[in-house]
Amino acid sequence: MNIKILDSWLREYLKTSATPKKIAEKLSLTSVSVERIEKYKNDVVYDIEITTNRPDLMSVVGLAQEAATILPQSGVDATFAKSKLKLPDVHPSKSPELHIKFDSKLVNRICAVIMEVRIKESPQYVKDRLEASGIRSLNNVIDITNYVMREIGHPTHVFDYDRLLHHTLNIRESKKGEKIRTLDDKEYTLTGGDIIADNGKGEIIDLISIMGTANSVVTNSTKRILFFIDNVDPHRLRKTSMELGIRTEAVILNEKGLNPEYATDALARGIELFVSLADGKIISDIIDLYPHQPKETTIILSEEKINTIVGIAIPLSKSKQILTSLGFFVEQQENELAVTIPAHKQGADMQIPEDLIEEIARVYGYINIPDTLPMFTEQSYFHLGTNEFYWEDRIKDALKYSGYTEVYTYPMVSETLYEGPIDTAVTIQNPLTDDMVYMRGTLIPSLLQVVKENQDHETIHIFEVANVYEKNGKELPNQILKLGGVVHKQHASFLEVKGVIEGLFIDLEIKNVNFKQLSDRYGALLSIDKKELGTIEILDKTTITFELDFQLLREHATLKKLFTPVGKYPAIVEDLAIIASAHVPTGDLMEEIKKQSKLIREVTLLDKYQETRTFHIIYQSQDKNLSDKEIGEIREKILKVLNDKFNARLKV
Amino acid sequence: MEEKLISIKNNAISLILETKSVKELEEIRIQFLGRNGEVTHLVKNLPKIAKEERPKIGSLVNEVKNIIEDAIKTKESTLKETKSHTYPTLDVTEPGIRTPLGHLHLVTQAIREITDIFSQIGFSRVRYPEIEWDMYAFGALNFPENHPARDDWETFFIKQHADSKRGPVVLTPHTSSGQVREMEKGKLPIKMLNIAKCYRRQSDVSHTPMFHQFEGLVVGEKVAISDLKGTLNYFVKSYFGENRVSRIRPYHFQFTEPSFEVDISCGVCLGKGCRLCKEGWLELGGAGMVHPNVLKAGKVDPEKYTGFAFGWGVERVLMMKDGIKIDDLRILYGNDLDFLKQF
Repeated sequence: MNIKILDSWLREYLKTSATPKKIAEKLSLTSVSVERIEKYKNDVVYDIEITTNRPDLMSVVGLAQEAATILPQSGVDATFAKSKLKLPDVHPSKSPELHIKFDSKLVNRICAVIMEVRIKESPQYVKDRLEASGIRSLNNVIDITNYVMREIGHPTHVFDYDRLLHHTLNIRESKKGEKIRTLDDKEYTLTGGDIIADNGKGEIIDLISIMGTANSVVTNSTKRILFFIDNVDPHRLRKTSMELGIRTEAVILNEKGLNPEYATDALARGIELFVSLADGKIISDIIDLYPHQPKETTIILSEEKINTIVGIAIPLSKSKQILTSLGFFVEQQENELAVTIPAHKQGADMQIPEDLIEEIARVYGYINIPDTLPMFTEQSYFHLGTNEFYWEDRIKDALKYSGYTEVYTYPMVSETLYEGPIDTAVTIQNPLTDDMVYMRGTLIPSLLQVVKENQDHETIHIFEVANVYEKNGKELPNQILKLGGVVHKQHASFLEVKGVIEGLFIDLEIKNVNFKQLSDRYGALLSIDKKELGTIEILDKTTITFELDFQLLREHATLKKLFTPVGKYPAIVEDLAIIASAHVPTGDLMEEIKKQSKLIREVTLLDKYQETRTFHIIYQSQDKNLSDKEIGEIREKILKVLNDKFNARLKV
Repeated sequence: MEEKLISIKNNAISLILETKSVKELEEIRIQFLGRNGEVTHLVKNLPKIAKEERPKIGSLVNEVKNIIEDAIKTKESTLKETKSHTYPTLDVTEPGIRTPLGHLHLVTQAIREITDIFSQIGFSRVRYPEIEWDMYAFGALNFPENHPARDDWETFFIKQHADSKRGPVVLTPHTSSGQVREMEKGKLPIKMLNIAKCYRRQSDVSHTPMFHQFEGLVVGEKVAISDLKGTLNYFVKSYFGENRVSRIRPYHFQFTEPSFEVDISCGVCLGKGCRLCKEGWLELGGAGMVHPNVLKAGKVDPEKYTGFAFGWGVERVLMMKDGIKIDDLRILYGNDLDFLKQF
């Protein structure tokens, strides 16, 4: 989260000659990032991003103490100037009636006191400091709660004591369907499990740690307040806050899991300010209910571990000095440090040696650690021919140089774009929008969508390499990489698309691809060794699509080169014009011709006109010149088998 | 005598070959075959030669004379032909007939460059599931059960019964879900580069619900913060240019300890501070030393081995490169062909 604080406020607790720019730079490099320093009236405001692991720095006092520790490390004078806050030793003879009940599963600590106050405007410096922090000034009493929150780092709350008709706060989990009206007069229905306070009769009088309710907060006629500091289960708070969409400064802080020790200072500072700014007078005993107090812990830290992780040798005495300056209790034992983390420094991020090494390294200065590259004596082997990324690049390049442009489409599609029965789809439980609900089972609909959105282009050649998904019982859905493409132009040609794909096969040295007509759609089914590779589909005169299995392409693609000696004896070429029914597939004819002799090196289709197909045949032997007689015999064999199998004959 | 003849012949031939004009050729003819030419001079001196040698030398002189004459004739016709030859009109400014050329997506181009940079220092690219168990995406990465990233409003969940051990099924919100999968292979040291699609529930000018990250993971003996710094700086200087520098700052991530935010010096002001940057620096992404709990989850002994990891947005580094100032990231996946064909 980001907090903004005025320089003058910070300097109330930090005595240093450093400029705001210097303070910002040092804080950014060693603790929290000061994203911006801006002018505010005659002052300067720091805009600081504080990570969730540093709730101790979400306050003026926390930052002042941090700066006072880190500035001297780089030779800049700085001291932390906060006198210890003390609770007033007041014991009124007769405290007003107040009953606080709570479920200790929900509550870490509650501090409270009842005071007489006079509502009025805040002094200008309070208004400025709050406004620079992005908090609106309302009246002195409300302002004090916010001021304490920003200065000490723990949110606080005030009730109008006289509006708590039953003088009871019963802190419990909400039940589903209970309603509240917040201080900004909005009504919410709770889903249950939220932390609320009721008045002992069931009426909710506070959404604890998030926002006050309209029926209990202070008004302009308030005379007596209940100053109230609550520290409760942060996870429930976040859930409630996100569900209801209430994101107050208080809950954003509270949900980080603040150390309940901070409540001590918040209480004392609040009382001090009520006395000085609101003519406050304590009229009750001070209440401090503390079921979950953090405990001191000790971590053992070895010199070797510090040096291994940092990468250079930091003297143990230096590490000790840094940790001590940060407020830890450190004892040196030979080549180890025993580091005690006091209760007020306890938090989520102070549990393992690495947490302390971070403290040492950052204050030592990341900038003082040299740059090295990880050096290992072992390295795993690399095989280009089986590397899937190499083949992915080759395939993409082949398509690029065939005129296809690559697109990236979202794999989440709408019900309309999902192909197949919708109940078989891998489905997103919490989609962002209605058109991103299902994980696609084919790339084609998304690619057709791209075509649709680019109608101003006369010819479109696009492709994508991406996963498609299918359910896989109780296991992770299957995630299958596909190469998909679409051609869209006035006269889209099947052979043109097929040609590009054949070119790809030649480039990847994939052999034995079989093309068969699709039975249920218009187009071709491609397979390698009886395994389905994919399809080319003709959707209409203008649109042809293809989708191939990437894994299968990759498995058959090879870098292995086979050398056959270049023939020493001349090749003989002849063209045979064959008349056969149009139903006879050209591929079958060519295959049959090729099979007739080992001396046939190559068969290609030269021309096709009506029922005549002309084949270009190259004969060649590795060991001799071929005679007319030998060629004649092979030709006879070809013509006979074509006639027997396909009722085809030579055109004369 | 014989030697002299051969040397005259060679000299004549090389002069003829080098000649550029008919006039020069005539001069050469005179030099060798003219009335006072070198060959003619030899012919005149034939009678001075011993009688028995005369026929042999005589025929040799004739041969040389013929060779030179032929060479001059051939050269003469070549020179005349060249002179009279004219070319048909050729408009070399007319656009060529191009073979069809498509375009690779900007993201593909960025991924290739990133891969090449890291492979130079021994990183191998890997691929892991895009739809993944919560365990790999969060649990094994030291995310507590109720961490905000595991909320419904940040991560996409798949409608499928949660597995008793591996939890619910999610769309990977980061490439870090490959970390424990890589460690589970059981081979050390690790120098992994995982580049993949990631998904988060957000869409605005600087976020798309699908994006790409590249994740580096190094695990081995004595892997230190200094190694992380060196690797990051190597990438920054390779990808953005040698005049740029990187720095690390404290940050917080669940799966690293310590964690860092990585900045690079601004390409416009080179670190001095300007309107486009934060006091001279631009945020690049996160990094850190692998948290011991993550090593444990991958069955790597954190007492023996350490590691570092970083995971950055491909789109982000692409946008930060010179020349690509795209103000709305969503255009990358809008698939407007006029946009895609620019690259």
